[in-house]
Amino acid sequence: MIPALGLVAGIIAGLFLDVSVPLDLQPYVPIAIVAALDAVFGGIRAVMEGIFDDKVFVVSFIANVLIAALIVYLGDQLGVGAQLSTAVIVVLGIRIFTNAATIRRHIFRA
Amino acid sequence: MVEEQDKDQANGKSQADAGDAAAPSDTDVPRFRPAVPSGGRRFWRAMTKRPQASHLGVAVLLALLGFGAVLQVRGDEEDALSHARRDELLQIYDGLTREADRLEEEIQDLRRDRDDLASSAGDESVALEQAEERLRQAQIVAGTVPVTGPGIQLTISDPDNQVTDTTLFGAIYELRSAGAEAIQIEGQGNDTAVRIVAESYLLPAEGGVEVSGVMLRPPYVITAIGNPENLDEAMHFPQGVMSDVTLDGGDATVTQFSELTVETLHEVTEPEHASPAPEGE
Repeated sequence: MIPALGLVAGIIAGLFLDVSVPLDLQPYVPIAIVAALDAVFGGIRAVMEGIFDDKVFVVSFIANVLIAALIVYLGDQLGVGAQLSTAVIVVLGIRIFTNAATIRRHIFRA
Repeated sequence: MVEEQDKDQANGKSQADAGDAAAPSDTDVPRFRPAVPSGGRRFWRAMTKRPQASHLGVAVLLALLGFGAVLQVRGDEEDALSHARRDELLQIYDGLTREADRLEEEIQDLRRDRDDLASSAGDESVALEQAEERLRQAQIVAGTVPVTGPGIQLTISDPDNQVTDTTLFGAIYELRSAGAEAIQIEGQGNDTAVRIVAESYLLPAEGGVEVSGVMLRPPYVITAIGNPENLDEAMHFPQGVMSDVTLDGGDATVTQFSELTVETLHEVTEPEHASPAPEGE
């Protein structure tokens, strides 16, 4: 329940606080968000399978975000930022879909 | 109690860190029964069970995610360029450069048009000025505007009413030939004045003269605008105006003025018979 409240609180804060993303971080925020989404879907799946552990979730969340941002940063430095970020998005997207499929099976049994 | 459990979990974790979000098996046995209860029910239970302090970290991370996502979405609405990639930026830049070139050309075209219009407007204003100048001259000649300038006044006293229209006509004629630009003749006897213009005429009349149909009684004052010395001289030619007046039995005096006004106006009547001949014939 607390995590759900946290998500809602974050969304509300984002809506009402007028904070702009720092310019240097701008290219990495979208990737980081997708990575975080991946972690969140993984977490939900874990809850449904009864194997959720908050420490694992925290670590995987942070690691996902940092690694995704790092890969994109590296790609930008190497001049293949666009391609690498596409690659990261694709991989994360596949994982999200896989997790979503598992969740779906748990909920709808189909 | 909760902390205790957490510690256990952490210990177990360090020993057996197998897959993603996989918790050790000895801490929470019921959660490991695979099919029953269902995932949805487990999720619901997780949502509704007593809050755990250990979930605060998860909550913070999720809050960060929501915050970041909303910020990013709002930022997207504000400024699409700031996280466009390099080749996108290049494309946009190319497009803008072409657009700028096109607009530059348009500016030059419009500038040329403007210059053309300005110069033609200049021509028009010159033409207008010339037309106004001609109008002014025509008005002076036609006697439809008051005129000021240097000139002379020729006063002809004629107590016995013997100065003839011919003598006055001679005076006007002499003034004209000496370069008078505007002439009026005033009969001080009946305080009436007439502007002398191209179609003016003089006729003898009982007790005075008739100028363009207006009766004038002596003494007469002829006011002429022109070079005062020339006009004065023209009046004093031998057998000229002065002697004619004297012969008629009157008395003429000439006074030069550096500033005179001819105020009497001539009323132009629309020509009845004459009309401008077509050009080039």
